Amino acid sequence: MPSFKVLVVDDEFDFLETIVKRLQKRKIDATGVGSGLEALKLLEETSFDILILDVKMPKMDGIETLKEIKRRWPAVEVIMLTGHASVESGMQGMQLGAFDYVMKPAKLDDLIEKMVQAYERKLLREKQIR
Amino acid sequence: MKENFSGRSRFVNYLVPLCLFAASWPVGRTGGALYALGALILAGLSFFLFRHLVHQINQAEQRSCELDEQLIQSQKLAAIGELSSGIAHEINNPLAIIGQEVEWLRHLFETSTLQEEKDRGEFSDSLKQISSQVDRCRDITHKLLNFARKMDPVMQAVELNRLIDDMAALVEKEAKLNNINIIREFQKDLPLVTSDPPFLRQVILNLLNNATYAIEANGTITISTKDNKDGRVEIAVADTGRGIPKEHLKKIFDPFFTTKPPGKGTGLGLSICHGIIQRVGGTISVISQLDRGTTFTIRLPIAP
Repeated sequence: MPSFKVLVVDDEFDFLETIVKRLQKRKIDATGVGSGLEALKLLEETSFDILILDVKMPKMDGIETLKEIKRRWPAVEVIMLTGHASVESGMQGMQLGAFDYVMKPAKLDDLIEKMVQAYERKLLREKQIR
Repeated sequence: MKENFSGRSRFVNYLVPLCLFAASWPVGRTGGALYALGALILAGLSFFLFRHLVHQINQAEQRSCELDEQLIQSQKLAAIGELSSGIAHEINNPLAIIGQEVEWLRHLFETSTLQEEKDRGEFSDSLKQISSQVDRCRDITHKLLNFARKMDPVMQAVELNRLIDDMAALVEKEAKLNNINIIREFQKDLPLVTSDPPFLRQVILNLLNNATYAIEANGTITISTKDNKDGRVEIAVADTGRGIPKEHLKKIFDPFFTTKPPGKGTGLGLSICHGIIQRVGGTISVISQLDRGTTFTIRLPIAP
């Protein structure tokens, strides 16, 4: 398993706590925060490779957060994860540069596989830019 | 007399129509010729009128095509204009500050020997300000470069069937509400394709969304994949929707072309799809029949 750093952003605390725990159990360096604003604040101090971003959040929603992240840290790969999937927000997310748009509930193995691909993409892109 | 008269009158009675007939015989023939001539003139007139109308219609159509093109061009220019005025504004601010600081430095240089603590302090403040404004400019250009790079595809191995299945599942929920079925006809042993996964997701999602829009309600979307055995795989998205009129078909990949009411579509969806598929080395084509449906076909190289 390649080592990458994941930040999970979700306002549902129970979901957040569980997924971070399960990822850590798989030896993945995972951190969780409860809002888009917290995610932006944390990104200013720490770098992450991958973001798992909930679409429907109060105040700053996933699409807005994605926009801001792609503007300020375009190298971070973002996987949108949502319980309220809509075609409209899916198209928006993909257009704004998300790596994938995944519906809840997603199997952890599938999600990890997507993270691995997203991380591979990040490394490939860094190679391209150099 | 009476008899005579009546006899004569009977004769006159016959004679008058006979004379009239005899007189009208040649007149009738001339009348026929006149009618024929009239018809000929009318036919000629209507022929010219018709030609003129067709000509007018053609011209109008051509003018509207030219207008369309001009509109696209002007919209493109507007987009570029907006972008560049944004950049200019962003860079002009730091430039103005740098210019001002340079003026101040020049003034200090001319009026002072820079021996005094206060003057030296001001001098170094100005230098610091200039250096930080240069950093600001560099930030802006780096962001621009990053934006441009975002458009470059990143090629990695893709399981196409799975990628398409994911996007179909996303559209399926909303499609079912309108009684639209999504049928998957995936070739099972499809080879891994080297392409850009998020770009492909964007295209598939767009095509599926268009398909549901074309059907509105009650219909079928069939999405299929197959190995073409020529180093390419083929993805087809077929809908049973209203179809695309012939005159629109050749324009649908043009930027800003839309048949949706104003504000409902940017007319960029398919042109973005076209751009993406081109960038990953593939082709996208369309066939359509009015009231029968539309099929979009993407062909992707297995290895770039």
